[in-house]
Amino acid sequence: MSRLLLKFESATLKEVPLGTRPVTIGRAPDNDIQIDNLAVSNYHARVYVEAGSLVVEDLNSLNGSFLNEIRVERAMLKDGDTILIGKHHIIVDQEHDAAPSLDAIRKAPAPRVNETMVLDTEERRKMLEQAAAAGERSQLSPERVRVPTLLVLRGRTDQKEYRIAGKLTVIGNSKMATVRLRGWFTPEVAAQINKHEDGYYLGRGDHVPRINGVAIHGLAKLNDGDVIDVGRVRLNFLYRE
Amino acid sequence: MRPQLHIQSGARTDLGRVRKNNEDCLSIDPALQLFVLSDGMGGEAHGEVASNLAVQTVLTHCRQAENSRTTPIFGEPSPDISERTNRLASAIHLANRKVFETASANPEQQGMGATVVAAWVEGQRLSVAHVGDSRAYLLRSGSLEQLTADHSLVAEKVRVGILTPQEADASEMQSVLTRAVGTTPAVEVDTDEQALLVDDCVLLCSDGLTRMVTDPEIASTLLTSTSAQEAADHLVDLANEYGGVDNISVIVLRVMEKSDSVFKRLKIWERYSG
Repeated sequence: MSRLLLKFESATLKEVPLGTRPVTIGRAPDNDIQIDNLAVSNYHARVYVEAGSLVVEDLNSLNGSFLNEIRVERAMLKDGDTILIGKHHIIVDQEHDAAPSLDAIRKAPAPRVNETMVLDTEERRKMLEQAAAAGERSQLSPERVRVPTLLVLRGRTDQKEYRIAGKLTVIGNSKMATVRLRGWFTPEVAAQINKHEDGYYLGRGDHVPRINGVAIHGLAKLNDGDVIDVGRVRLNFLYRE
Repeated sequence: MRPQLHIQSGARTDLGRVRKNNEDCLSIDPALQLFVLSDGMGGEAHGEVASNLAVQTVLTHCRQAENSRTTPIFGEPSPDISERTNRLASAIHLANRKVFETASANPEQQGMGATVVAAWVEGQRLSVAHVGDSRAYLLRSGSLEQLTADHSLVAEKVRVGILTPQEADASEMQSVLTRAVGTTPAVEVDTDEQALLVDDCVLLCSDGLTRMVTDPEIASTLLTSTSAQEAADHLVDLANEYGGVDNISVIVLRVMEKSDSVFKRLKIWERYSG
């Protein structure tokens, strides 16, 4: 695999693999390679593949980008080249390239590596076992069955308590609502709860709900004990055993 | 109060700049509010056969189910999702069977398959079902959420923490799927449901878009387009501008309020009376 190595003096600070998307270099934190140095512009340069060749392009930076000590605006790169940005060096490392390298992309207009294929059953089993082993390490083991529940603390609803079961739980006046709100001008969908692999997430409807007093504009994961306000209704999200 | 939602849709499929065949296929049924997109694979022209068959099977099965309640269900229905969403999953199970049987009957088509991502809107409910690495996104209040998890080797490795997203983007294994329609006698179908809101935007797309165009670029394109069709056109143009290494297909849905809806009038009334 081709990669870029970010070096300061003799230390390698970072390795960034080269893919189909450009690698951006600069002082701003959303760059792929961030260099926190005042001599470096916010968006200083980028490296990308064009027509099978690796290219470095300076993004009109104040102090310039240097390829093998020559200031460049745009230049082709080869293995071992050094790009100097501020006081940092970025080394082009292509020696790890396996067979389908940039050369292969250059020669074949529709490269074999881009052909979609499905993993055969044996390989998939191996991959999933490997994945499961890794997953076990990162997951808490929930031995007990915990039922997500909404307890009504305040407001007009059709029940005092709701068990959440499905992928989508609607809070509102809709006929598909699990938590049925009453009253005039109650929206069909006041808020919604979506089940994801790692838990339940509260999102907006025609109302912006609050969790523990804080307005939720995007999606927010629900934790045991959270207090949810939707319009005039207050709910308590609990995991019941 | 019942907000009447109007779904505006736009779609485009494009060869891209590198491939010789377009193996993607898409179809929309505006009356049924059903939207299906598929990315075929299998060399020669077989990918096209697989994606076409998959899309047609999903449409036909859902139409049949609309007209006849006795239409059989394929696959195991889940109690976690609505009847509609189960029906959509059933359609993909049937598509899997049809593509698999066709491939088995024709030796030269052995191994052909396809991804499928489908969306179906009923009232305010959006049902999504998918197999493979074609995606569904929801843009709501300016933020873009991916509703589907790719069934690809790299995505599954990212989910369990073996790979970082950056390593995944650079990987040469990006095209390796862990699930596809038509390559095995049975397949697992993933589903999702959302309650739609006015101003939501839903995007279905093949990997020809998402490999070329980043999520923030997708979001800003959807936000700045004045119609669903314009958004679809702009997304395809952008993917081609960035190289267009694969076929590019997109379906864009914009959720709007029906202009004559009682709900809207009430809302205006509410504003003046409140």
